[in-house]
Amino acid sequence: MQRYALNILFPVAAVVLVVLAQVGWLDRYVLTVVTFIGINCIFAVSLNVVNGYMGEFSCGHGGFMCVGAYAGSLLSVAFFTDSRLFGASLFPPESAPFLFPLVLVGASLAAALFGLIVALPSFNTRDDYLAIITIAANYIIISVVENIDAIGGPRGFSGMKRAVNAMSDVAELPWMLIWTIVGLFVCVATIRRLMTSTYGKGISAVSQNEVAAEMMGINTNRVKIMAFMVSSGLAGLSGALYAHVYGYVNAQSFNILRSTEGLVMVYLGGMGSTSGVLMAAVAFTLLVELLRFVIPWLNDLLHAASLLPASYELSQIWKWVFIPLLLILLMQFRPEGLLGNRELTQVFPRLKRWITFR
Amino acid sequence: MELFLQQCVNALQWGSFYALIALGYTLVYGVLRLINFAHGDIFMVGAYIAFFVSTALLAPGLGLSREWTLALTIPLTMILTSLVGVTLERIAYRPLMRKGAHRLYVVVTALMCGLVLENGNLALLGASRKTLPQLLEKNVYDFGGIAVTNLKLWVIFAAALVFLVLHFVVTKTRIGMAMRAVSWDKFALPLMGIPLDSVIVFTFTLGSGVAGLGGMLFAMSYPVLEPYMGAMTGWKAFIAAVVGGIGDIRGAFVGGFLLAFVEIMVAAFLPSTFRDLFAFSILLLILWRRPTGIFGKPQTTKI
Amino acid sequence: MTPLLEIDDLTQRFGGLQALSNFSFFMEDRELVGLIGPNGAGKTTVFNVVSGFYDPTEGDIRFGGKRINGMKPHQVTALGMARTFQNIRLWNDMSVLDNIRLARYAWLGYGFLGATLRTKRYRQAEKAIEKKAREVLEIMDLTDAAEELPKNLPYGLQRRIELARALAGNPRLLLLDEPAAGLNSADVEGLIRQIRWVYDEFKISIWMIEHQMKVVMSLCQRLTVVDFGRVIAEGTPEEIRNNPAVIKAYLGDDTL
Repeated sequence: MQRYALNILFPVAAVVLVVLAQVGWLDRYVLTVVTFIGINCIFAVSLNVVNGYMGEFSCGHGGFMCVGAYAGSLLSVAFFTDSRLFGASLFPPESAPFLFPLVLVGASLAAALFGLIVALPSFNTRDDYLAIITIAANYIIISVVENIDAIGGPRGFSGMKRAVNAMSDVAELPWMLIWTIVGLFVCVATIRRLMTSTYGKGISAVSQNEVAAEMMGINTNRVKIMAFMVSSGLAGLSGALYAHVYGYVNAQSFNILRSTEGLVMVYLGGMGSTSGVLMAAVAFTLLVELLRFVIPWLNDLLHAASLLPASYELSQIWKWVFIPLLLILLMQFRPEGLLGNRELTQVFPRLKRWITFR
Repeated sequence: MELFLQQCVNALQWGSFYALIALGYTLVYGVLRLINFAHGDIFMVGAYIAFFVSTALLAPGLGLSREWTLALTIPLTMILTSLVGVTLERIAYRPLMRKGAHRLYVVVTALMCGLVLENGNLALLGASRKTLPQLLEKNVYDFGGIAVTNLKLWVIFAAALVFLVLHFVVTKTRIGMAMRAVSWDKFALPLMGIPLDSVIVFTFTLGSGVAGLGGMLFAMSYPVLEPYMGAMTGWKAFIAAVVGGIGDIRGAFVGGFLLAFVEIMVAAFLPSTFRDLFAFSILLLILWRRPTGIFGKPQTTKI
Repeated sequence: MTPLLEIDDLTQRFGGLQALSNFSFFMEDRELVGLIGPNGAGKTTVFNVVSGFYDPTEGDIRFGGKRINGMKPHQVTALGMARTFQNIRLWNDMSVLDNIRLARYAWLGYGFLGATLRTKRYRQAEKAIEKKAREVLEIMDLTDAAEELPKNLPYGLQRRIELARALAGNPRLLLLDEPAAGLNSADVEGLIRQIRWVYDEFKISIWMIEHQMKVVMSLCQRLTVVDFGRVIAEGTPEEIRNNPAVIKAYLGDDTL
């Protein structure tokens, strides 16, 4: 029974969070940060399927998040709201809390479809060329979205707030927090179940010795397609959640920088370790938020100590100097990431008494 | 027709920038099998170095003439940019390679170095955009209705010259041949009596120096500088290098000009928002049909 | 009776290089046959073409009467052919047990939804795979190594794991690519016994490439000799030993 501590701990933590949010003990800012941690976790863990388990180097993961964000937004606007784009709502707004999973599934499927398209050229090419293909795919997706005027083009797309409000009208709950927790749970469960099955271990086989995999009866092309589709589909899920949390999407939020953030989280956590990447995603999101406060404080401190010229202010940009530097140092001194290919239970075997992560 | 020819000239100029950056990617990749993702930002650093050097030289203290400033800025920019590139290799890549780290870790390090360069630049210099002083009197020549500025000609000429020089270096000099030897077989190098580290440093010097020249020429053509100018151009130049067949100097040039040609033509005859879409789609198509690029040699897996 | 494996006029070109020319071969069920020849003669290329890794430029390959040229390696595997590699190719970062399990991939019987929803079919399939893998480990005397990573095990053991992995697919035909490579003479004795035992126990056919004459001479019922991509001799080990063309191809090689 103890081994399933995590399976109990997770729902308990989730319920506690939701209750805290419900009674208003979490202020709006904390709530947003917590939700965003969940979204980042999904994003990073999904990227880890390709970059960690399969050992490929995809650097356009933001593109799939973009597809999911737009697909999810369009679906929920069409389903639950009266809009100029789709006319009257397809379903009564009261059905929103029950049919919202449909939106998430639809967004994931749309993103998975794009993953399929990117997977096709990956049959004959590896690392360097695949990097190119994914970067190009990222740019193409953003460019396509920006060229479709009906969904706002470069101005972005909004209207999802009304869908979220439709849910709140039915019951006053922190809906997006709940859906993010559900999404994260589904995401981690999917990957965990996949990677412990013989079917999913085909991904590791392709990564560790592709020739052997091919010769021992594994259809490597199909494995690659599957891994890409799972990875991009889950990224789409994170995108759909993101769009509804913010109530507004813009293609540029999913550009190469977003993809780079994903890479930071994956390599911080150690490729191929879901628990490591989860920890890294939490740490990374918190770090970004923390620096928001630390930088002005540091600025005041340095000015008080006259270490900075009066004309110079330490700006938030420094955040994007510190974080890459952190990763550079990490690569130098602990290149395998926080956990380095191993799950939490393998690093601390005593935890096995409490949790089964693999 | 005239419009088309005019756009061809523009494409040649634009392609020269891509080619000059793509060269750095290709040279480093040929020797180290490393995608130096910081290279686009080296180009940006080159443009900024050109700005600081030329501003300093023109400043009242020295008060050099424009011609002298130009003549001095070119070598100074190239040397200083090379130093930046070599420094990156020394402090970030080499220790990792020494430890025999996975190639991906070095690639990620390179990506992060690029971010540090561009954001560090923005953080230090602020958001105010720098403008490169005009170093070249602008002349417009008219060839049967096609307007060509002397600057454009210089850019194209510089790219062609760089190509010839590099081609000579790689095929005729000892160190150049060593570079090619490394790309074939790392273990063959000691046979040539040149230490691997020297070859690597030389490669980074060449690549960064050429990117510095590209940055300076770019800044002369489009004088407003901003820290992210290298990122997008760099990604595209990298794609150009891959389409040409990464590891091959000719490939860098052909890929660069091809990409520029597609971009300029799309922008000229279609809404300019389609530019990236077309450029990237066509390049994907090329890669799909020819996965190793135009000049790339197919690699066969051995069992 | 259709022969187990028939190769007709197989020609394989890589660019300008002609690796195999008009290579013909056949083997019956339950034969143990050897393929020998000097280095670079094209032996491994034959195996690579037969197992579907390369598409043959010309010629026909039939396995159990079925034409298999143009098939992907995983399709050929599913028909009942398995192989080992000259330089060991195990999945080094997963347990030995997982290595064996994955050899059942071609007969998995469930897909993505099965794996993620943990359907009944998935549970049954995994149970059968686990059982089979444990069985093979037991037979090959590898049970103690089940949870180890192959990369941490000695070379000889890795060779045995590779053999076990090939056998886990219940092949009708087993291709062995230089199984004795890198083994010392004591190990070679063990290997000969092991191959003979596998041949008897699993009731399969074996086609092996081997450099060490001791191995092929004591195991094989029949030998094919290739040089420069073409067959130069065929016959029993005794015939081959005295064949002038073979002696010429091996001239200077005193292992014969």
